[in-house]
Amino acid sequence: MTAIKVENLEKDYGKVKALRGISFEVKEGEIFGLIGPNGAGKSTTLKILATLLMPTGGRAEVYGYDVVSEADEVRKLISYLPEEAGAYKNLTGYEYLQFMAKLYAKTGKSVEEMLKLGVEIAGLGERIHDKVATYSKGMTRKLLLARALMVMPKLAILDEPASGLDIINAYTIRQTIKRFAREEGVTFLVSSHNMLEVEFLCDRVALINKGIIVEVGTPKELKEKYNAENLEEVFMKAVGVKL
Amino acid sequence: MSDFFVIVMKEVRDLMRNKQIIVGMIIVPLILFPALGKMISFGMSEAKEETKVILVNFDEGKYGNVLISALKAAPNVTVTLIDAQTVQEAIQKAQAEGYNVVVIIPKDFSKNIEANEKTYVEVYAVFKGISAGIKESVSEGRINVVLQVLNEELAKLKISETVKGNPEAVLHPIDAKSYSVIQGRIVNVPPSVVSGIIYSQAFSIPLVLFIMISYVSQMAATTMAAEKENKTLETLLTLPVRRVTIITGKMVGTAIIALVASIAYMIGLKYYISSFSPENMTQIGITLKDLGLEMTPKGALLFGISLFLSIVFALSLAMLISVFAEDVRSASTMVSMIMMPLLFPIWILMFKDVSTLPLAVKYFLYAIPFSHPVIASRAVLLKQYGIVYAGIAYLLFISGAMLYITAKFFSTEKVLTAKLKWGKKRGAEK
Repeated sequence: MTAIKVENLEKDYGKVKALRGISFEVKEGEIFGLIGPNGAGKSTTLKILATLLMPTGGRAEVYGYDVVSEADEVRKLISYLPEEAGAYKNLTGYEYLQFMAKLYAKTGKSVEEMLKLGVEIAGLGERIHDKVATYSKGMTRKLLLARALMVMPKLAILDEPASGLDIINAYTIRQTIKRFAREEGVTFLVSSHNMLEVEFLCDRVALINKGIIVEVGTPKELKEKYNAENLEEVFMKAVGVKL
Repeated sequence: MSDFFVIVMKEVRDLMRNKQIIVGMIIVPLILFPALGKMISFGMSEAKEETKVILVNFDEGKYGNVLISALKAAPNVTVTLIDAQTVQEAIQKAQAEGYNVVVIIPKDFSKNIEANEKTYVEVYAVFKGISAGIKESVSEGRINVVLQVLNEELAKLKISETVKGNPEAVLHPIDAKSYSVIQGRIVNVPPSVVSGIIYSQAFSIPLVLFIMISYVSQMAATTMAAEKENKTLETLLTLPVRRVTIITGKMVGTAIIALVASIAYMIGLKYYISSFSPENMTQIGITLKDLGLEMTPKGALLFGISLFLSIVFALSLAMLISVFAEDVRSASTMVSMIMMPLLFPIWILMFKDVSTLPLAVKYFLYAIPFSHPVIASRAVLLKQYGIVYAGIAYLLFISGAMLYITAKFFSTEKVLTAKLKWGKKRGAEK
């Protein structure tokens, strides 16, 4: 089944064209990576799919629901982790997860089940009962990822899931994503400007530059096509930068 | 548990743990206000202490002694008669022994009175330091009261010697008997007392409303802008919860805390005011009820509805404004800038009844939603329900419209991209 279908999606911010008609599809259970430099249009695409922004042109569907006209239905299926996100500082990590679980509980799982899973994914030990204000950046990010995954979304939209994290935290987060895709069948749409991360994590990737998708394929296919050693090289060749 | 309730609970919990809010809500009104009041009432109670008078009598006739007896009989006054040769000597003694007033009865005191000439008494108040000087002025006041009574008595005495009839009637031939007419009913209470009661009512309702609306809107702005500042808004907006539920949940959570804060302010303010005005209306024993100005259950309900709707308006407007701010501080500034001009006109209602105002001012006040609870608070006492219903209808419309606009705004992407950059428009960065 098709999890995401994007057709000729366009987005303008005033005179700035962030997306110039992009199209791609993501299959159910896939980890799909959207990679490109800063300002390429990754976050904008993710925000449109997460029902936060309205496209200027084209359309996007999540499990057959239109992200604009059927936004309420889409929100029941997705879980979105913004690039720069925070949690409520005056709540403890546990209370934060509890708040979110109560709002999602109607979608199937019980609050207790979600909380148990959330606490496990966050992996914060006893610190889960401390206030979010006392958490390090890595701890907050893990809490937010736990929030995004414990609700067992059909589609998880993660914007730079491991950005700014140290090697251990980044590794843990990637492992968690992989495990959820393989064991739970969750579909992932992940954006990153770290091409090596994407190569490790994603089944298929789309290279995006200046609001246009330049290539779509598995990392292996793309490397073969461009005769490149890694996705970084693929990207440079695809956008026509001479190496 | 419904989504709405979950959001309300989270909002209340989040706000209750905000140190700034707790300080503003508990420390300031419940500790600072009463403490200020205590300080003032301490000064007052010092002033109420005994007036200790040193009296030097240079008079040789009978009236000097009459005055001394009158002073001795006066409440809160202790008189010590001393022998002194000069005023200086008496003052020195007063300073040395902690007296605050020196009264000198001059030599020709009785002689002048007997000759129907004007005479005088010298009163020296001894200031010990440069404080407010309440004590000294109170002391002088007490002596003056004694002199006034004495003047009257002497005058009556002289009148009885020369004129027939009641000396009191000769001295004060006319007295006023004051009544008040309230809603066609004659009440045996002087108008000054009635206006005092009405004034305290007229003053307190706008004040309460002012504090409450300011608090509500500031808190609504804080909670919304904090979502932006702490980067929690995007996540919140992608949850499987209707946007209108998110907004109303936040509003109710905020309103609960604001209500607690307002009550704290009222309690604090009551302590503050009561600490230096003990002779308030309840002690006189006359209440609005005695005057026939009673709030019926119906009136209370209508006033409550009016107040509730104006709070809904304030909350919706503040939330909408705060969407344009990037952080809590700028949200708070923006909300103040827009709310204050809307709130200040209700001060006019403290001093004026809306029906007595010029037409333009009247309609201007009618247009401001916050005027209506104030107007309603008076109209329900007079059982003039027509204007209250009209006010509620207007509030229902304008608060409903405001809530609708805010909810609509939240269902668009503007809630994320709107930004007021004084004169310069800017969209999102990516």
